[in-house]
Amino acid sequence: MAEEKKRSIDKATEELLEKAEKEQISTAFFRADEIRPCPIGVEESCCKVCSMGPCRLPRSKKGEEKRRVGVCGATIETVVARNFARKIAAGTAAHSDHAREVVETFLKAALGQAQGFEIKDEVKLLEVALDFNIEIEGKEIKDIAVELGRKALDEFGKQHGELVYIGKAPLKRQELWRRLGVVPRGVDREVVEVMHRTHMGVDQDYTHIIEQATRCALADGWGGSMISTDLQDIMFGTPVPVVGKINLGVLKEDEVNVVVHGHEPFLPELLAAASRDPEIKKLAEKAGAKGINLAGMCCSANEVLMRHGIPCAGNFLQQELALVTGAVELMTVDVQCQMQGLQDVAACFHTKLVTTSDRAKIEGAVHMEFHPDSGLDMAKKILKMAIENYPNRRGSVYIPDQARDIVVGFSHETINYLLGGLFRASYRPLNDNIINGRIRGVAGVVGCNNVRTVHDSAHIAMIKELIKNDVLVLTTGCAAMACGKEGLLTPEAAREFAGDGLAEVCEAVGIPPVLHMGACVDNSRLLIAATAMVKEGGLGDDLSDLPVVGAAPEWMSEKALAIGQYFVASGVFTVFGTTWPTVGSEKVTRHLFEEFEEIYKGMWAYEEDPVKAAHLMISQIDKKRKALGLEKARERVLFDMAMRRELA
Amino acid sequence: MSEYIYDEKERFDGEKVKVLGPTYEEGKPDGSYDWKARLDTRELTVNYLRSALRYWYSKDWFGSERRKKDA
Repeated sequence: MAEEKKRSIDKATEELLEKAEKEQISTAFFRADEIRPCPIGVEESCCKVCSMGPCRLPRSKKGEEKRRVGVCGATIETVVARNFARKIAAGTAAHSDHAREVVETFLKAALGQAQGFEIKDEVKLLEVALDFNIEIEGKEIKDIAVELGRKALDEFGKQHGELVYIGKAPLKRQELWRRLGVVPRGVDREVVEVMHRTHMGVDQDYTHIIEQATRCALADGWGGSMISTDLQDIMFGTPVPVVGKINLGVLKEDEVNVVVHGHEPFLPELLAAASRDPEIKKLAEKAGAKGINLAGMCCSANEVLMRHGIPCAGNFLQQELALVTGAVELMTVDVQCQMQGLQDVAACFHTKLVTTSDRAKIEGAVHMEFHPDSGLDMAKKILKMAIENYPNRRGSVYIPDQARDIVVGFSHETINYLLGGLFRASYRPLNDNIINGRIRGVAGVVGCNNVRTVHDSAHIAMIKELIKNDVLVLTTGCAAMACGKEGLLTPEAAREFAGDGLAEVCEAVGIPPVLHMGACVDNSRLLIAATAMVKEGGLGDDLSDLPVVGAAPEWMSEKALAIGQYFVASGVFTVFGTTWPTVGSEKVTRHLFEEFEEIYKGMWAYEEDPVKAAHLMISQIDKKRKALGLEKARERVLFDMAMRRELA
Repeated sequence: MSEYIYDEKERFDGEKVKVLGPTYEEGKPDGSYDWKARLDTRELTVNYLRSALRYWYSKDWFGSERRKKDA
C-alpha cells in the first residue's frame, strides 16, 4: 500500500482535507496532485513575449556545446531575466495598486466623503506628514491629511526625481542606490518600464534587465507598500499588541460565520464595525443564531486581527477548507491570493462567495462592488445577506477543534515604544542585546504557502531553528499565521522554543520570540525596523552591516519575488525555498546569488530544506557579527571601585 | 493584587535569600493598550515625534550615521 502523503502539519487542515476527500470536493491540494509543473516553465526557460514562439530553451545537457536561443536570437539569460523582471513588476503592481486604493480612500476620508472612515491615528499622520515635508505647525488635522493624501497620490505617477520615502533609508544605502542609478522615480513608471524593456526586441542584456527589476522592486518596498502601510495605520490605527485567536476552530457552529479574505482592509474594517450594530445582532438572533462571527483569512485577516483582535481562520491554503466546514454563510474576497476554486467549493454548500473589488470578479460569485462613500451601508447589506443564509446550511457541518491564542500587532512604532517607553522610545535595548550576543541577529521570515511543500512545515521548521539559535524573528503574511497556529506568537513560546539568550530578552520585554508585524504589504515595517537599528547606532551604518536576514520558505506569488528583490537590494541576504525561478540560466542565477553581493551588499539564495536554509541565514548573521567585531558574546560587567582602580 | 509570592534563591556568596516572585495579575488582557492615546496634545505629539521617531532626520544625524562631512 502506498504511503499516505502528508499535506500539512496543521491538524485542522488535515481533518478538513479528509472531509473534502470523503465528500469529493476539489481543493488546491488535490488539484496539485493532478497537475505537475511544466519542467521548462518551472525553470523559466520559455519565452512567450511574441507570437513567433513560444520558444522553449531547456538547459543544455552535460557536455553539450550547443547554445540555445529563441527565434529572435534571445539567449536563455535574456529569457530568464525577462521572466524574472516581469514577475517583480506584477508583484510591485499588485502591492502598489492596493496602495493607490488606500491613498484614494484616505483622501476621501480626509475630505469626509468615506462613510465610516476617519483619521484614527493623528500621531502617525503628523509623523508621515513630516516625512512628506508637509508643514504641520498651526494646521488642522483635516488639512494636513488632505495635503498628505494628494502628495502620496503623486508618488505613483511621478515621472522624474525620487520617491519621497527613499529618504527614510540609511544615508549610505541611499548613496549606493543613487550611484547605481536604481532610485525609483514614480511607482507606476517603474512597473511600466519593466514591461517595456521586456517587450520583444528591447532590453537584451540580462544585467540591465535585472537592474530595472531592482528599481521596480524598490518602488514596491520603499514606495507602494510603505505608503499603503502608513496610510492604513493613519486611517485604521497603528497596530498595538492585542490578543487574538487563530485557525479554523475560530468558526462557530451556532453563529453566522462571515469570512473576509483578500488583502484590502477597507470592507473588513467596516464589517467589524457593522457586526457590533445592535440591529444586526438582533437580526442574527431572529434567524436562530447566537450572533455574528467575523473571521479573517489571508492578509485581510492580518489587518483586522492586528487592529481589532478579530479571529483569523487561517492562511492561504486554508481558504477553500474554511468553506469545506460547511459553516460559512458568506465569504468576501477583494484582491490577491483568492483561488477561483472557492466558487466550486462554495457551490457544494450554502456559502455565498462575494467579490467586492472593481478589479476582481469570479465567475459564479455574487459581485458587490465596494465604494468608500457607501461602505458602511454595504457592510450592513453583506451581513444581512449572511444572516438570511444561515438557515440554509446543508450537508454536514464540521469545525475542527483547533484554535490557538496569539499576540499580534508589533508595528515598528510599538516595538520602539515597548523597548524604551514613551519617554525614551528607541531600539537601544535591541541593539545592545545584539551587541552583547543574547540576540544573535534578526530574521524576517515572510511569504505565502505553497502546495508543493507540506503546508506550513517549512515556515515552522525554519523559524524554530532560528529562534533556537537566538535569532529574533519578525514575520508577516501567511508565514505569521503558520507561527500563530504552532504557538510561536505568545510570550510563553520564548521559554519553550527560544535559545537562552533570546528567551531572556523576550521575558524582560514581555514579547514573543516571533513578532507578528502584519500583512505581506507590511514588509515595509521590516525595512523601517531594520533602518531604526542602523540609526540607533553600534551595528554599522548601512542595512547590509546588520546581522539581519530574510526568507520566504514557502513562497508562491509574484509579490513575494518583488519583496525578496527589495530586501536584497536593500542589503539583506534573502533565502527562498520551494522553487527558484531563474534556474534556467546559470549566469542570471550567479548574478543574483553571487554578483549581487558585490553590487548591493545583499544577495539571494535558494535552499529547499528549511533547516539548512536557517543555517545559511545563521552563518550570514555570524559573518555580519564578525565584520562588526561581535563574534563573541559579551557579558555586561558592572565595575566596582576596585576594578575601576585597576583600569587607571 | 493577590498576596506576594516569594521564591528562595542562592546569593553569589552561597547564602539563601528570599526574593519577590512575579507580581503581575494572572489573566488575559481584554483589549489592546493604545499607548499613543497618552499623547493628547499637539505639543506632546510633536515632541515625541522629534525625540523618539524622527531623531533620525536630525541635522546632526545619529548613532553610526553621525558624520563629519555631509553625505
